[in-house]
Amino acid sequence: MAFISSGYNPEKPMENRITDIGPKKYDQFYPPVIAKNKGKWLYHEILEPGVLVHVAEGGDEVYTVRVGGCRLMTTTHIREICEIAEKHCDGHLRFTTRNNIEFMVDDKSKVDALKKDLETRKFPGGSFKFPIGGTGAGITNIVHTQGWIHCHTPATDASGTVKATMDEVFKDFQDMRLPAPLRISMACCLNMCGAVHCSDIAILGYHRKPPMLDHEYLDKICEIPLAISSCPTGAIKPAKVEWKGETVKSVAVNNERCMFCGNCYTMCPSMPLSDQIGDGIVLMAGGKVSNRISQPKFSKVVVAFLPNEMPRWPSMTKTINQMIEAYSKDARKYERLGEWAERIGWERFFDKCELEFTHHLIDDFRDPAYYTWRQSTQFKF
Amino acid sequence: MAQVDFKGKTFDVDEDGFILDYNQFCDEWIEYVKDQEGIDEMTDEHKLVIKVLQEYYEKNGIAPMVRVLSKLTKFKLKHIYELFPSGPGKGACKMAGLPKPTGCV
Repeated sequence: MAFISSGYNPEKPMENRITDIGPKKYDQFYPPVIAKNKGKWLYHEILEPGVLVHVAEGGDEVYTVRVGGCRLMTTTHIREICEIAEKHCDGHLRFTTRNNIEFMVDDKSKVDALKKDLETRKFPGGSFKFPIGGTGAGITNIVHTQGWIHCHTPATDASGTVKATMDEVFKDFQDMRLPAPLRISMACCLNMCGAVHCSDIAILGYHRKPPMLDHEYLDKICEIPLAISSCPTGAIKPAKVEWKGETVKSVAVNNERCMFCGNCYTMCPSMPLSDQIGDGIVLMAGGKVSNRISQPKFSKVVVAFLPNEMPRWPSMTKTINQMIEAYSKDARKYERLGEWAERIGWERFFDKCELEFTHHLIDDFRDPAYYTWRQSTQFKF
Repeated sequence: MAQVDFKGKTFDVDEDGFILDYNQFCDEWIEYVKDQEGIDEMTDEHKLVIKVLQEYYEKNGIAPMVRVLSKLTKFKLKHIYELFPSGPGKGACKMAGLPKPTGCV
């Protein structure tokens, strides 16, 4: 298509330039019933999986229907969301912090028509466009990252692993049978964009090979001191290397000290480390962010490595299922996965989830590792 | 890798228009980037920023942090943006021939 100008003049880039206006103010987009009752809500109920009602002081009610979103979506899909909102909710809708979509109506009589409409919409491949659910003690959407769609440091894919996992746990998205909400998150490298470090179950992309060094370009496109200081284990040092008869400045990596975090590649494009067979997935478990009963927790590594098995990641989804089933059978009401594991002891957690405990799971990073070892005789055989 | 020919000089550049080899830097490069970055006229202040960046890079092997650049040039960040509308990284470092900024940018 030929170029169509928006009115921007590249000859005078600073002319008529609007900056620092920030986002639109949220209350411009309130549905009327929300605007009217803001700050006056009395109580709420979950009527069924995916449907909530909030009741205000004056008696006003707002019914919310929560549906799953794939997060990575086309404008066609967003237009369809808008069309639904036009039809049932006077053009209002919202997205949740886990990238679900919420449609709100102010009367109970409007809920059934909305639900029926949402349930009948499917993609040509057969998957639900707008599955209703994600409330209460179930499994809601997976917070995830870019993966092979857009990022340059991933060790696995995001959208693919997430689709495979959500297909596996779909019945729990539309159900509330678990002892407490179970949050699953996904990050495609250990930059951990998102919530993997604080989720009940976390999927994390992981490398197993040290970076390759492109000596020819390293000094030209990298700031060497940055690459050196990016290393958490001090495995990188500056070096002079013979390259095609010339002495060039570069770095040397002590492979014995490298734990494949990939931070140096983030800082220096000449140190790529992704590898088809080496890369895979680590599973973590037991994190939470809420203060309810116990304090927030970090998730802990429970499976050191699972291979990347495109496109459905069967061993990953199987292991996640094992954890969910063991947790749902054994945990008490209101108990998050991490609270359950700490109550029964992690040795029992590995037992009940039928996970293998390997030496990879024992912390060996600096002084704080010591505190993760057991300094007690209290344990179960 | 793309090559740019400008006033008789040839530069190896990447897709963002950063020079691939600091040693290829010359005055023609400044002129070439000036057109790209929407800078009308090179003032002494522009030249000071470039000089400070290059001296720091040659001495330390990295680009200075923004606060260091501010301190060395005695320009506030706001003024650096007035000189280089794309900012100290995409504008000034590019013009000075420094490597492309990396990390989560």
